[in-house]
Amino acid sequence: MSEAVVVAGLKKNYGGVEAVAGVDFTVRAGEVFGMLGPNGAGKSTTVEILAGLRRRDAGDVSVLGLDPATAAKELKARIGMQLQSVALYPRLRVWEVLCLFASFYRRPLKPAEVLSRVGLADKAHSLTNQLSGGQAQRLAIAMAMIGDGELLFLDEPTTGLDPQARRMLWQVILDLKQGDKTVVLTTHYMDEAERLCDRVAIIDHGRIIALGSPRDLVAEHFREQAVEFEAHGLSAELAPGQIPGVTRIERNGGMVTLYTTQVSRTVEALLTCRGGEETGLRDFTARRATLEDVFLKLTGRRIRG
Amino acid sequence: MRTYLELVKANARNVFRDRMALFWFLAFPIVFVLLFGTIFSDDWTPSEFPVGLVADGGEVAQGLASALGHTGAFSTHTGTEEDELEALRRGDRRLVIVLPPGADSLLAQGEKVQVVLHYDQRQQAVNQVLISSVGEILQEMERAMTGRPRVFAVRPEAVQTTDLRGIDFLLPGVMAMALMQLGLFGSLQVVGLRERKVLRQLHATPLSRPLLIASEVTVRLSMALIQAMLILTIGHLVFGVTVVGSWLVVIGLVVLGAGMFVSLGYLLVSFAKSEEAGQGIVQLVQFPMMFLSGIFFPVDVMPDFLRPVMKAIPLTYLADLLRQEITGWAALHAPATNFTVLGAWLAVSLVLAMRLFRWE
Repeated sequence: MSEAVVVAGLKKNYGGVEAVAGVDFTVRAGEVFGMLGPNGAGKSTTVEILAGLRRRDAGDVSVLGLDPATAAKELKARIGMQLQSVALYPRLRVWEVLCLFASFYRRPLKPAEVLSRVGLADKAHSLTNQLSGGQAQRLAIAMAMIGDGELLFLDEPTTGLDPQARRMLWQVILDLKQGDKTVVLTTHYMDEAERLCDRVAIIDHGRIIALGSPRDLVAEHFREQAVEFEAHGLSAELAPGQIPGVTRIERNGGMVTLYTTQVSRTVEALLTCRGGEETGLRDFTARRATLEDVFLKLTGRRIRG
Repeated sequence: MRTYLELVKANARNVFRDRMALFWFLAFPIVFVLLFGTIFSDDWTPSEFPVGLVADGGEVAQGLASALGHTGAFSTHTGTEEDELEALRRGDRRLVIVLPPGADSLLAQGEKVQVVLHYDQRQQAVNQVLISSVGEILQEMERAMTGRPRVFAVRPEAVQTTDLRGIDFLLPGVMAMALMQLGLFGSLQVVGLRERKVLRQLHATPLSRPLLIASEVTVRLSMALIQAMLILTIGHLVFGVTVVGSWLVVIGLVVLGAGMFVSLGYLLVSFAKSEEAGQGIVQLVQFPMMFLSGIFFPVDVMPDFLRPVMKAIPLTYLADLLRQEITGWAALHAPATNFTVLGAWLAVSLVLAMRLFRWE
């Protein structure tokens, strides 16, 4: 099968509020598909409908050729699901939890193998309520992996983790892809989406506002590179055209982002313009445009904050 | 099957690793039995055992009466069989000895004299002593009067008495109450798992609902059995309460009662969003049940207007069944009524609890 997930016109309301307002996409078998968006965009709701945890109000959904609304149990035997909030039996040990979850599936992986893959082998005999946030999150992913499903849903796998724990989890997810699993993950981290995902759906207010590979999305919306700095009375006077190469200016909080086709000339102009040298350009960076910039361009907001 | 066993293991671990819960689980029955036993147990250890003698006043009867008197352990009362048995039932006699009419002439003809001993069936241990000492007295008499062996044959007969001590009345009630509390409050664990979203996590797997519920019920039933045995053991060791009926029936009743209350517990907390809310609902139900079920007071002392309420409370019927089986106390209701009411509660609670069960 080349398509693991096919979604058309998916809708879900919660008490009159449209959490998912008509969503269409497909996930190809073997790819890592990201759903990127701010909190409350409808990512979790979508994923939970696909995994058979919630009922949809409208639309067609096919996951591994099954309809999650009517064949939930059959589907659940073939997928793995990591929920956004880690929930564990408080007084069980890591090892015991994995053995328990392994018993739910027909051909589970060996708990020891999964624990070493997520780097928890040395915590096997710890009580789950003694794990750190990152460890608990890795255990949650281990619980999603234990059934050896073809398709894994990971709902914000790295939220709230320190950089080291995040990188560790990224490696786990990339390993899954190497192992021919299909992964659907939600995140509100741009770098995570860019780093892990073959394709990304950017979601806002229950709708997909952009869909494609991270590289294509950036290329489609920006030929420019971004120059970013903290504004100090400087920003009010800036306008596109005043500075060479600048095509767009975004202001967000104290930060100013200039999108430019000619980075060196733009920077030069900034430094020589009135007041620039005295105040200095704090937190100055020049970089390629990212998904964050795409989101900012499409919604006028940053994804977080 | 593997899933079921793993779930039972996980459940049992989750329960028994909660030190506080474990403490109460063990302390509750001990404290209750000791408390009620101490308050309600009559410390009645007479120096003389009142014995009723039913005889036609012949030589044998006189001999027996004086022999009993000589031991210093018995005070003898003579009367008609009817009166003496009534006294035994009231608890005024420990033993009633019935000599057949014309014992003297039977003895003279060299025939066996059938002596019947009526005793209180609840006082097994004491009675063994009494019966054997009466037996010895009769043997002494035999030798003295006839010089021939085996004239008297003793046939002990148990009588159901109404003179229950407080502890005898209360112990089955404490058991029934323990089953109720275990069932009703035990259901809060599921609410906790739901509140902490553990159930949701389980719902994301192919695990089926009946299997989850079955494993929960299994753990609760095992706990109920442990607790019931603990209560009976303490009752026996400390207050000498013995099971008059069959242990197998008692175990069966414990399983039935626990199953009923576990189901009712799940039903009650179906809609509870948090453990606290669940606790409130359970308290609301278990408190009136405890006092209106007649497990602490005989139902007769309750005012009339509460009777219909009491008629509906399953705890009443469970306690009634347990009391009859353990103490031999005459049941308030026919066994068929008791089982029908309990069965109905079990069936309705179980079906509704399964229907209304929610993962999140």
